[in-house]
Amino acid sequence: MEFEFRFDIVWNNLPLLLEGVQTTILLSLLTMVLGTIIGLFVAIVRLRVRKIFALPLVVYVEVFRGTPGLIQIVWIYYCLPILTGLQLDALTSLVIAMALNVGSYLSEVFRAGIQGVSRGHIEAAAAVGFKPGQIIRRVIVPQAAYRMIPAIGNVFVSAIKLSSLCSVLGMAELMYQGQIIIANFFRPIEVFTVVAVIYLIMAYTTSLFMMYLEWKFAWIRRKKVPFWQKFKQISKTSFQIKPQGNL
Amino acid sequence: MTSAVKIKNLHKSFGSLKVLRGIDLDVAQGEVVCILGASGSGKSTLLRCINQLSIPDEGTVYINGDPIGNLLSETGELKKANQTTLASQRSRIGYVFQQFNLWPHRTVLGNVIEALKIVKKMNNADAEKIAIDRITEVGLLDWKDEYPDTLSGGQQQRVAIARMLAMEPEVMLFDEPTSALDPERVGEVIEVMKELAEKGHTMIIATHELNFGRDTADRAIFIDEGVIVEQASAQEFFSHPKSERLQSFLKRMSM
Repeated sequence: MEFEFRFDIVWNNLPLLLEGVQTTILLSLLTMVLGTIIGLFVAIVRLRVRKIFALPLVVYVEVFRGTPGLIQIVWIYYCLPILTGLQLDALTSLVIAMALNVGSYLSEVFRAGIQGVSRGHIEAAAAVGFKPGQIIRRVIVPQAAYRMIPAIGNVFVSAIKLSSLCSVLGMAELMYQGQIIIANFFRPIEVFTVVAVIYLIMAYTTSLFMMYLEWKFAWIRRKKVPFWQKFKQISKTSFQIKPQGNL
Repeated sequence: MTSAVKIKNLHKSFGSLKVLRGIDLDVAQGEVVCILGASGSGKSTLLRCINQLSIPDEGTVYINGDPIGNLLSETGELKKANQTTLASQRSRIGYVFQQFNLWPHRTVLGNVIEALKIVKKMNNADAEKIAIDRITEVGLLDWKDEYPDTLSGGQQQRVAIARMLAMEPEVMLFDEPTSALDPERVGEVIEVMKELAEKGHTMIIATHELNFGRDTADRAIFIDEGVIVEQASAQEFFSHPKSERLQSFLKRMSM
């Protein structure tokens, strides 16, 4: 007996999946924004205060990086109301949980990016009379931002996939909708294949956007090539294994 | 006339290591002073303390009578200055680094313009005019739109000098400006510094280039273990060193 693929079942239920996509995008975007804010805050505080005061933040980062995302989501969804008495709707508590997870990764990205700016470049700015705020805006941010973009992209792409865990708590996002269809038609392979492709499209769109930002921020641009050419260059070189020099 | 630079009893330690142990120095307007000493003798730290990149533990630096990093209160006491005051005081002191420290995200022109716009609040057109003049002065006009990483070390250091000149500093500090250069690139930077000296700028230069010191400096100073061991006019300093330590240092350097 030969197996017959029944993708028609997926096409017939596509509107259901697309509804899920909307929720997934909403969850992911909110997570990225809130996660970035948390990450920036944690990174800056850790760089500015003494080690002993930064200890709670170190614990936060290590706990959220070192435990499964699923447990974090479930734990915050059920335990936060018990501990604080705060009644949050599902979306809010899920976004908070995921943002805490994403923020822990991003804080390390930001910290490394800021610390990576050469001491000498900062001193050169101080020596000509820049104030601390001007040094941050004119020297640290432009250099750090450019270097951090690829790493931020990684975390953002994982955030999209992380949102699939929300299906466990009944949030009707893409993964949940897919499972509903599977439960009705018993066609896991076809449904999961399409769901995976949709995740891939969302992830790749994010990657493209980060690539665009990288192009936009690139301060070493000997020749200003249009983005689509740059894109061709990047997609060509990204399959070659060699040390990456300046673009 | 007040000294361009007056250093009083400067002390600086890093942990238990005493790098400067009571430096006193007066530099007159337009004087070119050359600081010599072995690596680790405190030359760089002395220069860094002048513009407060390193905050001295004790002692005060005056630029044209103003205490750097401090404010004179009405009662004549010294009070620690805030960041804004310190920044504006630093803008009066030019500093050239051993490692150039050009900003990699700005072009040659961008590097020179930056401080004019941000610190002196000039508009683009005025700032660009000054910047172009200074870049021409160091002979790099053709390179003004290049990014620093495409330039040779010597060219980068000349850009760094142009960036400093644009701010019209009252005093110029050079922290081993040729030590990070390929030997064949040293000459072009020395040339630019000689021209500056001839134009009557006040300069303090930490260097290992004995010939440059002999030809250009008005006065030479020898620092060892955080104190000034010997100072004399450049002529006297190099031809008739008095202390044993300087004699053996010069001997080692000219080998």
